[in-house]
Amino acid sequence: MIRMSEQTPYTLHTLANGLRVVIERMPGVRSAAAGFLVQTGARDEVPELAGVSHFLEHMMFKGTANRTWGDINIDFDRMGSTYNAFTSEDRTVYYGWVRKADLGKQIELLADMMRSSLPPDEFTTEKNVILEEIAMSKDSLEHVMFDFLQEKVFAGHPLAWPVLGYDHTLAAMTRDKMWAYFQRRYAPDNMMLIVAGNVEPSEIIEQAEACCGSWKPAGPAPPRIVPPVHSGTDVLPIDRFKQQVVALTFPSIAATDPRIETASAAATILGGDNSRFFWNIVQKGLAPRAGAQHLDYTDCGVMILYAACQPDRCEEVLAAIRTEAGRMCEERVSKQEVDRVKNKRRTSLAVEAEAPYYRLTQLMDDMEDHGAPRTIEETLAEVDAVSADTIHDYLQACPINIPGHLTSVGPRNWPEV
Amino acid sequence: MKENVHQQLPSGLEYGVTPLPDRHVVSFQLRILAGMASEPPRTLGLARLVEETLDKGTEAYTAQGLADAFDAIGAGRQSGTGRETMTFTCTVLPEHFERALELHAELLRRPKFPDEAVAVNVQLGKQELVALDDDAHGLVDKLITRQAYGPVAGRHQLGEHETLERITRTDLENYWRTHFCSGRIIAAVAGGIEPRRVADALTRHFDGFGSSRREGRGALPIEFNPKTTHHDKALEQEHIAICWPGVDATHDEFPVQQVTLGILSGGMSGRLFTEVREKRGLVYWVSAWQETPRGAGMVFLGASTTPDRCAKTYTTLLHEVDRLAEDITQDELDRAVTGIVANQETRGDTTRSRCAELASDLFFFGRPVPIEEKVAKVQAVTIEDIRRYLTLHPRNRLCVITLGPRPMVGLDAPAVKAMGGIGR
Repeated sequence: MIRMSEQTPYTLHTLANGLRVVIERMPGVRSAAAGFLVQTGARDEVPELAGVSHFLEHMMFKGTANRTWGDINIDFDRMGSTYNAFTSEDRTVYYGWVRKADLGKQIELLADMMRSSLPPDEFTTEKNVILEEIAMSKDSLEHVMFDFLQEKVFAGHPLAWPVLGYDHTLAAMTRDKMWAYFQRRYAPDNMMLIVAGNVEPSEIIEQAEACCGSWKPAGPAPPRIVPPVHSGTDVLPIDRFKQQVVALTFPSIAATDPRIETASAAATILGGDNSRFFWNIVQKGLAPRAGAQHLDYTDCGVMILYAACQPDRCEEVLAAIRTEAGRMCEERVSKQEVDRVKNKRRTSLAVEAEAPYYRLTQLMDDMEDHGAPRTIEETLAEVDAVSADTIHDYLQACPINIPGHLTSVGPRNWPEV
Repeated sequence: MKENVHQQLPSGLEYGVTPLPDRHVVSFQLRILAGMASEPPRTLGLARLVEETLDKGTEAYTAQGLADAFDAIGAGRQSGTGRETMTFTCTVLPEHFERALELHAELLRRPKFPDEAVAVNVQLGKQELVALDDDAHGLVDKLITRQAYGPVAGRHQLGEHETLERITRTDLENYWRTHFCSGRIIAAVAGGIEPRRVADALTRHFDGFGSSRREGRGALPIEFNPKTTHHDKALEQEHIAICWPGVDATHDEFPVQQVTLGILSGGMSGRLFTEVREKRGLVYWVSAWQETPRGAGMVFLGASTTPDRCAKTYTTLLHEVDRLAEDITQDELDRAVTGIVANQETRGDTTRSRCAELASDLFFFGRPVPIEEKVAKVQAVTIEDIRRYLTLHPRNRLCVITLGPRPMVGLDAPAVKAMGGIGR
């Protein structure tokens, strides 16, 4: 089942066991990147196993039937690979970026890791590493703020708990429970192998068949439940931080929505480099940092407007954020503002097209969000379609001049709820 | 492959070009040879304020007008202030190169430093200092830098509250007049552009810009201060930083230092990651890295861990550095070399990396250094070279900082030999 488009540089292939293989040919580059995308993350966990996806990602480096953890690390480094893994709310990714000649070895190693033995004698040691990672996250105001925001905005839904999990869920986690989760979620029909670089697609497919063809499918994963997006006010007073972070969160569109470039442009106009927040909040001396972020998943999204400021300036900073959000909704943005954002996006797409690792990450987004890779030209066409009118229509449908959800984290117990 | 170009223009401006005809973008970096070390002691933080205020109003543009002009060509730009230099980096489509350079010339040559913008940036600088207190890694970096480099090379870009208070518009203007001129600019350009276009544009926009004398190229005074200092702070983790002098980027033994660091911390099979994290589970983050101001080198180790594990983490770090000279294997050496070489090649697919590489070459070596030359030097490193390097650079005088809820008990500045992140 090979499909090679004449118009695009992509090859899509699905193994008999359901593993999808996506390849982008990039003639002219000297490197290549490969990665496995597993469609599982924190939102696929049950509450008592909060953090299992991320802990599992660590354990995937700890050994297979063919390699010890030492062998895995050494084999990556023998290639000089730039490699790592990460876990989010809805995906887990393992990747390596290597010289072109090493791509075959890189794919073999990653594929072997995907059939981890989760060595029992490594479980406790790695649990300690995760507990250190959780401790480190608690020393970061930004991290504390984001976790608290998710906990409150998505309360009652798996998106509410942190990707790292909690000390108590980690403490209670067993290798057997992790193994059961692993067997359910790391089946080939819930995974993709994605490759970008100066490669020959038929060779990649042949290797995928050899390395992954024997993996047993598990059938469709349970459907994900769309989360609620709560409004209200939540405050987390923490004395040891010096700044206060305030954030407003509003329901928005999912990553799969055709208006996603428009939503992203709206966030940039409001909170990017040369943005309304920059000139009217930061350059007014109200706060050293203020921005807007469109956070999106495959089935939901939120717009987050935030600033970090001195605790005694929360009122005026929040008022300034609401003023700018109101202006965005009530007055059309100018054509110049839209063009600025589009011009910068064009440059960033040209940069993205240069390196296999950049393309790999974009292909992962495309496959998750659209079910197919998109060329730079297709993305450019979507960028070109953004206008003051589309932004206006988007903000009518997803207003940010409503109360939304207010989150406040820092030394000041403000606002008093 | 086209050859690198390296020239000095009559204006005194030095530039290099790495032509990459197949690329669809151009990256350039303008490096001004003045930074924090050039600040008067009473106005620390001044250099960064100059950098932040240069584009907040010029003779031809308002602050927002200039930002809009950059956005009109889709310029992706960044600037930064270091101890020796200020950098202005930009990536654009090739057709916009001349315009992007023109706009940079405008902000570098004709800033107005409006009173209001200066006042706002001073105010924001003070708020950034408060924000730094919420950033444990940033704070420990500030503390180890000050202790390791001394009062001049160890300055922090944000300065101090009291020095920021003193800074006026006149200070910014004086700093700019003294240090901004063609003789203090090094330009590096890489990407899909002909060297002739680069020379023409640089000539057009920087001709007659102040002194053409080549200045700002000396080494900084460094006062290494070996001692252990604990800084008390309510944190979940104890943050450890260890430092000792190494060699500078032009030293014959620099490739040996690179490879030595690779063995310690080049990947997940590096010794620090293996011993501190993989075997013992003491940390999430552990790393080794180097800094190379002109004429000097510093080697750093860093880790963060919960207080009960701090002493164990610390002794494990030092033990790994200690044993390094004793039992290096050829396989470890080969992996470290491969890591450095492969990194050059993979990163080389990005135009921005090629520009950064060229800029670094011009700053340290005064010429573009062919990748093959760098690779050959790294590949020539032997186990004996590393042993010799470790012998010639003993790690018996360490600068150590801990930041966290309690000091390490019973561990003072050790007479231990010492060297050398990655995390998933």
